[in-house]
Amino acid sequence: MARTLAMFTDVSLCIGCRACQVACKQWNQLAPEEPEWTGTYQNHAHFTDKSYRLVRFFEETDDKGQMKQWHMMSDVCKHCAQAGCLEACPTGAIYRTEYGTVNINQDICNGCRYCVSACPFGVVAFNHDTGTATKCTFCNDRIHNGLGPACAKACPTESIRFGFRDELAVKAKQRVGELKKQGYKDAQLYGEDQGGALGGLNAFFLLLGKPAIYGLPEKPKLPQRNVIADSLLSIGSAVLVGLGALLAFRDRPGKAGA
Amino acid sequence: MEPGLLKNSDWPLLIDLYFFLGGLAGGAFVIATIANLLDARRYRDIVRVGYYIAFLAILPGPLFLVADLGLPTRFLHMVMVSKPSLEIGMNAFTVGPFHLKLLSPMNAGAWALLGFSVLAFLAALDVFLEDRGGRSMSTLRVVAGVIGGFFGFFIAAYPGVLLGATARPLFISAHWLGALFLAVGASTGGAAIALILSLLGGQARESLSRLMRFTVFALILQLAALVLFIVAVQTAGSTGIGQALAQLLSGPYSLTFWLGAVVVGILVPLALQLAGGIKKAAPAMTALVSALILIGGFLVKYVIIAVGQAT
Repeated sequence: MARTLAMFTDVSLCIGCRACQVACKQWNQLAPEEPEWTGTYQNHAHFTDKSYRLVRFFEETDDKGQMKQWHMMSDVCKHCAQAGCLEACPTGAIYRTEYGTVNINQDICNGCRYCVSACPFGVVAFNHDTGTATKCTFCNDRIHNGLGPACAKACPTESIRFGFRDELAVKAKQRVGELKKQGYKDAQLYGEDQGGALGGLNAFFLLLGKPAIYGLPEKPKLPQRNVIADSLLSIGSAVLVGLGALLAFRDRPGKAGA
Repeated sequence: MEPGLLKNSDWPLLIDLYFFLGGLAGGAFVIATIANLLDARRYRDIVRVGYYIAFLAILPGPLFLVADLGLPTRFLHMVMVSKPSLEIGMNAFTVGPFHLKLLSPMNAGAWALLGFSVLAFLAALDVFLEDRGGRSMSTLRVVAGVIGGFFGFFIAAYPGVLLGATARPLFISAHWLGALFLAVGASTGGAAIALILSLLGGQARESLSRLMRFTVFALILQLAALVLFIVAVQTAGSTGIGQALAQLLSGPYSLTFWLGAVVVGILVPLALQLAGGIKKAAPAMTALVSALILIGGFLVKYVIIAVGQAT
């Protein structure tokens, strides 16, 4: 496997211009969509089959409900090291590339939509026109030709950075240190730790506060972690059913009166 | 976490129907197999009807699943692709064009459905040949019955495990869905056989009463698994759970849950059966109790899937 690639999104630098969203649409030839009113500048409310990058806007309020801070964050598929969508996919359409990114082979996907509900971040979307599941490809065509993803290329403030994961992680940690010195005491990395949730995210973030402010799960869990425990409980249930049937149908002379 | 962040698969009623019929088929098959192993002659009616029901109930399953796909022509990709990718997950095995993903219940379920369908066909065929005056190939029936019985358990349980391996708040903290779905498969499988037998009105009063004894046992197991499911979800305490449980227990789905799944599907049949005495097995009463169990068995799966997808 080649050296793992990553995207690092630093929300402290995001100005909410959505150049990333537009660049993504242009490069990936994603059709325009009807705008929707979400109550903020955010459009759309969720990732869709035609929006793989999504700038989210959040208004953080204090205990009295007063506006405290306005947050902007360019969100994208996290390309998890342990990916719920990839593990769920029954066809093997979702695969890991040699760069560590997660991609959906559109020629294999049969549109069962299991990956859509298996993603802990609600990234994967179903395309009703093609009948397949879609999401950010990490610009698979570009990275195989020596280019970075279109979103990172377009970002005017370098809020989105692309590079080798290990190098980006060093820069990200330095940036957290700088921000803390500047008074952003809650600045933290999300998904950088490869020993943490989901084995680390290959698109990781620098947040200025708790993940919950950005609508992100504090500790995302790989849904497939449930399979073994749930299966064992099912086996227990099967044993009881089998025993019940044996007891009900076994011959008991004198009692049931055959 | 903001529950609104997550997406759902929008699986339609067709999938609920498959989960219901698959569970029923698995349950009926297991009952027929155990009855056949214990006393093939005495329980001949249960074995016959059980294997017929298992085959007929699983028959539309693959059709429903294929019809629901975004690209139905690619249904075979569930188990094989001509050019598989290299890295398709942990515990994934590829042999030639075939792949098995142990952590993907949908992939494992597709394999099990294939195996179960073949064995359910063989068992039903053997019963059919015997009905037509031929001799039963008893060895084939025993082998197909035993192996198919394991597949039958799998077919009944895996949809619950499949749901548990999604990020939906209600499902991911449930843990008991596989066990619950298996118990529902057993109760509805038993009820389906009992319904047919009581409508046919044969002389098999005694075996019918034994079948109802088993069905009541499965129903109690179903109730226990349902309680454990709710307790597990409640104690998980993750965000989004409160809303999901409220929808199920006191919100728009509560009537279907309490009245349909619990009262009609479990409590009334249990009360009727226990009050009337299981041994009597009066055909009309048995038919009524069985019908209620079947309705409740569908509703309990339907309502849990609906709430899990909606919240």
